[in-house]
Amino acid sequence: MKIKNQLLKTALVACLALPGLVIAAEAKLSDAEVNEINAQFPMPSGKMLGDSCAACHGTLGAEFNEGMPPLAGMDRQHFIDLMKAFRQGDFPTIVMHDVAYVYTDAEIEAMADYFASLPAEQWPAPNITESAFLNPDGTIKQIGGAQ
Amino acid sequence: MSSSQSMLSRRDLIKRFGAAAVAGTGLFGFSNQAWSSKSAHIVIVGGGIGGAATAKYLRLAHGKVRITLVEPNPEYTFCPGSNEVFNGHETLENLTFNYDTMRQRYGVNVIQDKAVAIDYAKRQLRLGSGENVSYDKLVVSTGPDFIYDAVEGYSAAHAAGDLPHAWKAGAQTAKLKAQLDAMPQGGVFVMSSPDGAYRCPPAPYERVSMIADQLSRTNPTAKLIILDSKNRYTFQEHYEHYWTERYGFGTENEVISWVAEKDGGRAVKLDARNKTLITASGEKIKADVINIIPPHKASKFAIDAGLAQGQRWVDFEAKTFKSLVDPNVYVIGDMVNAPMSKTGMIASNQAKVVVESIVADLEGREPGTPFIANNCVAIISDDYGMTIADTHRFAGDRYLVQQRISEVTDNPYVRHIRADLAKNWQRTFRKEIFH
Ligand SMILES: Cc1cc2nc3c(=O)[nH]c(=O)nc-3n(C[C@H](O)[C@H](O)[C@H](O)COP(=O)(O)OP(=O)(O)OC[C@H]3O[C@@H](n4cnc5c(N)ncnc54)[C@H](O)[C@@H]3O)c2cc1C
Repeated sequence: MKIKNQLLKTALVACLALPGLVIAAEAKLSDAEVNEINAQFPMPSGKMLGDSCAACHGTLGAEFNEGMPPLAGMDRQHFIDLMKAFRQGDFPTIVMHDVAYVYTDAEIEAMADYFASLPAEQWPAPNITESAFLNPDGTIKQIGGAQ
Repeated sequence: MSSSQSMLSRRDLIKRFGAAAVAGTGLFGFSNQAWSSKSAHIVIVGGGIGGAATAKYLRLAHGKVRITLVEPNPEYTFCPGSNEVFNGHETLENLTFNYDTMRQRYGVNVIQDKAVAIDYAKRQLRLGSGENVSYDKLVVSTGPDFIYDAVEGYSAAHAAGDLPHAWKAGAQTAKLKAQLDAMPQGGVFVMSSPDGAYRCPPAPYERVSMIADQLSRTNPTAKLIILDSKNRYTFQEHYEHYWTERYGFGTENEVISWVAEKDGGRAVKLDARNKTLITASGEKIKADVINIIPPHKASKFAIDAGLAQGQRWVDFEAKTFKSLVDPNVYVIGDMVNAPMSKTGMIASNQAKVVVESIVADLEGREPGTPFIANNCVAIISDDYGMTIADTHRFAGDRYLVQQRISEVTDNPYVRHIRADLAKNWQRTFRKEIFH
């Protein structure tokens, strides 16, 4: 499995890499490497990190009708505890242990703040006109805002 | 409109607002999003996953900017999920969205036309109709195009006719499905799987698996052959594990055969009249249904507009996805030369980086640090799914990638729930982009 993964990665490097945009050869960056990168550049914001979860958890984490749980309006400490448990592999999960291992404490806390600030309400379907996310005229509010 | 405004000629209006404002309807109907000539005009080319995500997230971040989306088709059909059309577990209807929500909820002016050229100096986008749309920032997400002649004798005309690639979901998907359903008992299906970077790396093998599932019920003596132009592919151990269990993969009676490039798998020539694919080693494979997935390159528009700078893919500035050709133009999605898989989730998350960069420019500040995740869930059958988790961490002039692939398992619960997760992901993702 390991050897095959390595082969796969090599193949990807061969077809995608270009000067200046290089794939890390190792599957996991060490904490020291991540810290070194994060020391050079400002940490991605809670919104940048959190919005990249939307494909699975819904816009602004507000998908309440699916198996993958909603994140909008989630209790801050609950989010932090869960993500750290996923990161450590405390218990088996379907995919979250493979997702959470990359985040630092500070990144997990920034996402926790972001999701805790959002209304715990289903993202409105097109036919819905009354929603915490919508203005009275049906247009979208700037909830979550810019960075 | 006031009388002074209505006295302006159409030309003047185009100059002041861009053709977008003239062509659009109900532009001034949004109480809190009335477009003023002072607010920046962001024009997006391509209403697929990258373009639609840009429009939606831009409006979420900013109430005032004018947003115009240029897309030739009245509807968009998602590729994710389209392989399941082949075993009847998904419908194209379910995967298809119009732009009404973009217009009404997000105040996006959607122009149904093709972009044909960019005048970088004048900051104008030329449309197929001949009109020019002025922009402050242009975002291009026009997806991939295909290198048809990598298989000699194959062409765009064939793809639109009797030999669909079905690598852009829609009419071609339906055509290929109909051909498979009409295949004679014991018939042969052959696929040519490409090398190089192409959209959704596991999708050819997912497609073959969905077809095999369908045929196991309706045409159990049929054979499926994958002629591959490469030697390794994503989730290979998962596919082979499942195919071995269910389809005798690796035995004399295998239903699915995979021929690697090193074993002569590369298809080099099509003999359309005799429904035959010819491989690099000269072998002729006659089939009842042929599905050639050609190698990819950047969209015709990106190449014609010079964004690809004579290359196969479009380069960009790592932090912002600004084109290296012009900093007022952003480039994302399948057409860019990124160290990332060509997936919808990647395109949608690149869109969020672009939105941050545009809003930062409008507000006169440095854009925040990007972070791009790609969590891909694929299936082999209704009861076998697998996941790949990539994260792309910005490191100055490059991205560092971390990747984990789920382990092969015989645990039926884990297999099944991963497959359910894939369906779950597809539904949530469609809503994320178009609702
Ligand atoms: C079978 C299959 C399965 C897939 N499964 C998954 C999956 O499970 N998960 C996943 O994340 N991804 C998946 N993908 C990949 C995903 O579909 C693409 O990565 C994604 O669509 C890329 O988005 P894009 O915006 O770059 O291109 P597209 O979504 O293709 O959008 C491009 C748009 O630009 C428009 N356009 C083109 N030229 C012009 C022009 N000149 N002017 C104006 N508009 C123009 C097109 O009409 C189109 O609407 C799959 C792909 C396939 C083929």
